[in-house]
Amino acid sequence: MTEVAAEPAVYAAGLTRQYGGVTVVRGVDLALPAGSKTALLGANGAGKTTLLNMLSTLITPTRGQVRIAGQKPGTAALRRAIGVLGHKPMLYEDLSPLENLRFFARLYEVQDADARIEELLRRVGLWLRRHERTAILSRGYHQRLALARVLVHRPAVVIADEPETGLDPEGVALLDELALAAPGLTVLAATHRIDHLPAWATGVVRLERGRVAEDTSSIALPGEVTAAGPRGVVAP
Amino acid sequence: MGPVLTVLRKDLLLAWRNRSGWASAAAFATIAVLTYSFAFDLATGDVRPLLPGVLWTTFLFAGVFAAGQSFQDEVEDGTFDAMLVAPVPATAIFAGKLAANLIALLIIEFAQLLLATILFDVGLFTPELLGIVVIGTVGYVSLTTLLSTMGGHVRGRSVLLPVLVLPLLVPLLIGAVRATGAALGLESGTAPWMLLLGVFTLWSTLASVLLFPVAVER
Repeated sequence: MTEVAAEPAVYAAGLTRQYGGVTVVRGVDLALPAGSKTALLGANGAGKTTLLNMLSTLITPTRGQVRIAGQKPGTAALRRAIGVLGHKPMLYEDLSPLENLRFFARLYEVQDADARIEELLRRVGLWLRRHERTAILSRGYHQRLALARVLVHRPAVVIADEPETGLDPEGVALLDELALAAPGLTVLAATHRIDHLPAWATGVVRLERGRVAEDTSSIALPGEVTAAGPRGVVAP
Repeated sequence: MGPVLTVLRKDLLLAWRNRSGWASAAAFATIAVLTYSFAFDLATGDVRPLLPGVLWTTFLFAGVFAAGQSFQDEVEDGTFDAMLVAPVPATAIFAGKLAANLIALLIIEFAQLLLATILFDVGLFTPELLGIVVIGTVGYVSLTTLLSTMGGHVRGRSVLLPVLVLPLLVPLLIGAVRATGAALGLESGTAPWMLLLGVFTLWSTLASVLLFPVAVER
């Protein structure tokens, strides 16, 4: 916590999720500034995927608050602000890359959909294969198409769960260029790299047993008392 | 209407491209009607009283099977989650999927009506009977679409769906069979059975639309 800003791009206060009697994520506070690139670290079972699912509104927190780009959960504005890159590519195998992107562009009401789709398909190297069935594409090309799906509506925040999985070095470079290291885009991405920090990361959040054990990415919010002690919960 | 049509168009395209689920349902329905026609003595007995039961049990089993299949792919590929994080009301997603399931099932059902017309030598394409089929199908597709969503993340969902949905459909089955029988002149007065069918369909559709956003919340 090194600076003070009024409006974090990703804000969480006391975020907790329980499954039955088991608490998977415990009281997580985050205030990631716009444009920051945060690597979410933690061992298996630390709660990374659950935290990302709560931030992307896929699961509802048992307790706590979430704001993305200043928007509350349940609003279309919040959903327009985020792009979700999950474990699965989240693509229709029986549709072509072009049809997949058209479908999601329509859901997000992208204005210049055709131009945007062509731009993205060219960038991820799938323009010449745009009419083929997605099912016949390799795992790496699935991930590239998933990246295009995430970016088609120009999100302000990308929430990603181990996005490098299945990508070759060229694909990883493309992922870094288009999303993880893209200027202006706020990124929170879980990564299995715990031996060294990814090149794109400007900070880390480390989870241990569902709690934040280290946070070099969050900013102090107005009204917070100290950067060293427990952070106060101040709704932006 | 935009998101509803988007989901509807996508689901119909997928149903056409990946026909395994719907083709299996259509094949099952065809085999069932054929088997019934062989099992009953068409040459000597009057089998018309059995026809409403034959048709509706076939429709229900085919519909439950197909609805479960179509949703299973969405869950396994993660595409349902991708729709849920989009800025689209959950009710619009439900309406699109309901409409797609309804269209696909009505096509299967009309094909079975044609087959039964030939095999059982009974005129089934009357406006009254077609109305009963459409209303009854809306009623059970609403419930199967909702319950296939609720069971989407549960192991053994292919077994769970029929176990959950078929007891709930008993009133619809009774209303549809009796209304069909009355429309075929096997008993007097379709009105009370049409009322039961209509009320059930209204209830199941409204309940499904209202419960869907709750059902998909995790």
